[in-house]
Amino acid sequence: MNSSARALSHHLTHRLARAAPGLAHFGVLMFVVASLIPAPPRITLDPPQIVITNNPAICVHTRLTDEVEEWKIQRTLAMVREMGAPTIVEYFPWPYVDRGEGRYDWGYADRIIRHAENQGLRVIARLGLVPAWARPPAEERVTSLTYLTEDTFDEFAAFVGAFVARYQGRVQDVIIWNEPNLSLEWGGRAPDPEAYAELLRVSYAAAHAANPDVRVLGGALAPTLETSGSAMSDLAFLERLYEASAAQSWDALAAHTYGFTAPPDEQPDPDTINFRRVELLREIMVRHGDADTPIVITESGWSDDPRWTNAVRPGQRIAYTLDAFEQAAAWPWVEAACIWNFRIPADQANRRDAYFSLVSSDFVRKPIYEAIQAYARGWESPYTP
Amino acid sequence: MSRTLPLPRWTRALKAGSRRHPRLTFALLAALAAAIALWTLTRPGMPLGPIDLTWHRMQVNKDFYVGIDPSYPPFAEWTPDAIVGIEPDIARELGARMGVETSILIMGYDGLYDALYTGEVDLILAGLRADPLYAEWVHYSPPYFDAGQVLVSRADAPYKTMDALNGKWLAVEIASAGDQAAQRWQRRLNALYIRRVMLPEEALAAVEAGEVDAALVDTISAREYLQGHPGLVRAAETTAPDEYAIAMRDANYRLIDAVEKALAEMRADGTLNAIIERWLGPSAPAQGESDAPS
Repeated sequence: MNSSARALSHHLTHRLARAAPGLAHFGVLMFVVASLIPAPPRITLDPPQIVITNNPAICVHTRLTDEVEEWKIQRTLAMVREMGAPTIVEYFPWPYVDRGEGRYDWGYADRIIRHAENQGLRVIARLGLVPAWARPPAEERVTSLTYLTEDTFDEFAAFVGAFVARYQGRVQDVIIWNEPNLSLEWGGRAPDPEAYAELLRVSYAAAHAANPDVRVLGGALAPTLETSGSAMSDLAFLERLYEASAAQSWDALAAHTYGFTAPPDEQPDPDTINFRRVELLREIMVRHGDADTPIVITESGWSDDPRWTNAVRPGQRIAYTLDAFEQAAAWPWVEAACIWNFRIPADQANRRDAYFSLVSSDFVRKPIYEAIQAYARGWESPYTP
Repeated sequence: MSRTLPLPRWTRALKAGSRRHPRLTFALLAALAAAIALWTLTRPGMPLGPIDLTWHRMQVNKDFYVGIDPSYPPFAEWTPDAIVGIEPDIARELGARMGVETSILIMGYDGLYDALYTGEVDLILAGLRADPLYAEWVHYSPPYFDAGQVLVSRADAPYKTMDALNGKWLAVEIASAGDQAAQRWQRRLNALYIRRVMLPEEALAAVEAGEVDAALVDTISAREYLQGHPGLVRAAETTAPDEYAIAMRDANYRLIDAVEKALAEMRADGTLNAIIERWLGPSAPAQGESDAPS
């Protein structure tokens, strides 16, 4: 080592020795500041729970898709269990887990399934939406998240197969797509029963290849009387599905049946939307020799929005909902009746969904929650005339 | 003999510094004055302030776009001829008072805020409650209607406040906001007996029949029922308010000023009440002065 190098080394050592106390103080200060930052809530699983209920047909459509905080997922599902609903429908959008080229990040789905299992809940998984890479480029055509063309059906089916394989033994039912009889849910295009039948066919094959015991639910049609480019009657759409041999591609039919202002015992009529419209779907199934296929009502309910002509009063909502559960339990061909929705992540008091929910976004139980809980658990109802 | 307290050290240093550097002191004071003047002149409404482009467009084109959800008569309804109701009438009156022509845009309830955000409409009038979720960019006007829960009692035995109902029977619509308010009052009072019925009309009929002392129901149901039942009176103030407000973009400060001024004038000269009465019927006199019976 020559003299200049020795001098530099000596100089650096000297500087470091002088700076050491300052660095130590800075380190201590940083440690103190860091320890003042609140730690994120530590989420631990409870001991495994079971659902206690008098009516196993009770089900709710949870809305955890956009829930960011894990403790809220856990709290939501605990409240579902406490209410006495043994089944949930939850949405698992393809773009949320897709990382391209057949790679998936299951973290988001895993935590929902993990907490649902821990609460003793059965999950019916609704699968849908399309990642950007599977849609035409924006320069070519502006598309929505529900725009899926036939040349990417196989990629969607691959996602279905991957989902079913990952949750084999944990998720037994998957719904393929949502309300394909609405243009809004079919990428802004006119509803196309034959195209949906093809989507079902490839998805069914992929799901059963991944797990022969899985059940594929088809349909999930929106109850509507409209016949236009924007929507097709659910009854007409189902007829067309049978004509396209779609029945070979489902193990159960998912049905949406809303009551709007009518009580649940109102007679079904093709020109009316009410709760018993599901009987008309069943008639079509029977007519096509599909009587042994069960129906799962994956969306239903009444709104008590005080500012909507299609809503009912809060007391009517409770009475109608409980009667609907009784009705669903009495139909041997219906497995479950799921209420849309249990809770929405953001409290949007001015949005319609808030008046369909059973619990507010800040976890305040609405009277209807307490009424359903009392019904399911066999308690005295706090809301009886 | 008086003693003065010594000045703090920093003021003495400042004094000494200003004596030593008079030019620098002057420059600093001038910069401070300029900053205050600049801040003042660039406030909304000042000559160098931001321009309210919506208001500017309204003044040039003499137009005014209002978003309404016509799914709730008598507040807003879509008839074959026109959009009618309390809210369209308020919108047209606001437009007339601001000297612009009102165009009503019909939209679904869930699309109202999106339409306001994207500038498709200048304001929305659809029974909205002030929502903290939108506080960053939405300004809500003072309420134009309170649909909250109101106390109704017999005219010969009136009650104006809930605390006068100690030991009395109260009818409520089951699971309503009135029911929840009554439960809170039940915990507050020594004794409050609640009778739950399915519909607000049944609660009011129970009051009329003398089966209960009062009913707590929503204002709209109370107003409609009281028109044909002069033996009943409602309290002047709601027990659990539910106020409807007009929503505007926070940046449109000139439009906000103009709308709120027009709304205040409409309230003062009776126009607002006349519009509401046109659609909800004449309001039965509310009682607020008489004491509760012992």
